[in-house]
Amino acid sequence: MFETIVDPTIGPAETLEDSRPALAPRPERLTGLRLGLLANTKRNAEQFLADVGRELAEQYGIVPVVAVKKPNIVETAPAELMAELTENCDIVVAGVGDCGSCSASAVADGILLEQAGIPAAVIVSDAFTVSANAMAGLRKAPGYAYVTTPHPVANLTAEGVKARAAQAVPAIVALLTEPVMAAASA
Amino acid sequence: MTSSVTEDPVEQAKAAIEYCYERGWTDGLPVVPATAADVAACLATTPLPADEIIGVQPHLGRSVTVAQAAANAIMAGCKPEYFPVVLAAWQAVVQERSSRGAWQSTSGPAPLIVVNGPVRSLLNINYAGGAFGPGFRANATIARAIGLIVRNGYGVRPQELEQATQGLPGRWSVCIGENEEMSPWEPLSVVGGVPAGVDAVSAILIRTVEYIDNRSTDSAEAVLTDFADTLGRMGAYVGGPHSSGGLVLGPEHAQLLGNAGYSRADVQEWLFSHAVRDPAEMAAAGKGEQVGDGPFRMLPSAEAIPVIVAGAANAAMSMVFRPFGWAAWAGRSVPVQWKEQ
Repeated sequence: MFETIVDPTIGPAETLEDSRPALAPRPERLTGLRLGLLANTKRNAEQFLADVGRELAEQYGIVPVVAVKKPNIVETAPAELMAELTENCDIVVAGVGDCGSCSASAVADGILLEQAGIPAAVIVSDAFTVSANAMAGLRKAPGYAYVTTPHPVANLTAEGVKARAAQAVPAIVALLTEPVMAAASA
Repeated sequence: MTSSVTEDPVEQAKAAIEYCYERGWTDGLPVVPATAADVAACLATTPLPADEIIGVQPHLGRSVTVAQAAANAIMAGCKPEYFPVVLAAWQAVVQERSSRGAWQSTSGPAPLIVVNGPVRSLLNINYAGGAFGPGFRANATIARAIGLIVRNGYGVRPQELEQATQGLPGRWSVCIGENEEMSPWEPLSVVGGVPAGVDAVSAILIRTVEYIDNRSTDSAEAVLTDFADTLGRMGAYVGGPHSSGGLVLGPEHAQLLGNAGYSRADVQEWLFSHAVRDPAEMAAAGKGEQVGDGPFRMLPSAEAIPVIVAGAANAAMSMVFRPFGWAAWAGRSVPVQWKEQ
């Protein structure tokens, strides 16, 4: 009856993935792998990742070979940072998605790394799973798995960040070593 | 009697509005369903081609065209002749660096759209009493069009990709004319690089506005002191090198300052040097981390305090507005482009 009404959502073709992105194959163990850390500019993000790196060093003997901070919380990491990670690392931990736009862009970073063959563990605070999932959907990867940590992260003390990072490590390790996209049918 | 209901044009109109609701195309208020003829009527007002891309969100994979903006402008309630102003407002918003991730932000910012030039009278864009609204179709619908383009063009919807913590009252309704006629200074658009008398739109993303009611003094410095207090409010500071703020002066305050010999730049300089806080106060509020030792200037620079004049000269009150993020206004106004007849 209302076929003459213009659909205001129809615009130029979307430029993101047009089919489900392939995720990187998982290594059986972390030992001997080169770790990369991709932080955003949110308060405590770099510290959180550094603490995760320290835990992984203690538990698996791997140390970060690249630790970078992307300049913009909204967009994915620029090509040169991505290249630095993909050329020098076997696995990457990214985050912390603790705001409206950076939760979504952290997930996008993770999916881009996966497509480049690098297993990624993205950390998102649990207040922002909706926007993280929305980005996974936009990137044709509904059900993309990431690690959650309780919100907020920005107001934690150094000790608090350390504890929170330690708490996240088992899930990070699982995400990097166990087959992912279990929720692929979601 | 069912057939007579469906043949009733009023019922049909309501059903068309419901159709738009069901598809998730509205901001919560009813929209005007847009037809191809409506879009064509908008396109007839602008020199821009229908398929020109006027906004891109690469991280979302989305972009919007002039024609898509037209459909959303009609839905917002715009008349086709408003469309050149909508396009200028959109461009003014897009060129603000802070707009890149604004639509997903917990801050939930709104564009403050300011119109200068003869187009204010042509389209009845209110710049006098009640400039912030409501009651004026052009003001209300031009601002709303921006919101619908974000929603429908970029696909950014509340509680999905949009993560506003509280949002703000009137998020997509803040469009004012500048009261050039009662301003002691040049139009804002001249500050923004557009010659006087040329229709132009400026935009700044803001998080709120808050009033300063000061009608009991004839001292310019007393009024400025009052402004500086609000501009220096700690709550607006979110960390980093400074807060940010601007003024929409009511004509009475503007004329008090103008008659006392203050230029716009003088006002900006005065406010920049007086909107300061004691670092101890900042620390007491848990905000002392990056403020240093001496008096902390809350504003980024004198020129980064936009000063606009709007409203009626019937009471001495003004508004402070709060730009989103640390980025000051880009300082570039956008001329309205009309199709040559």
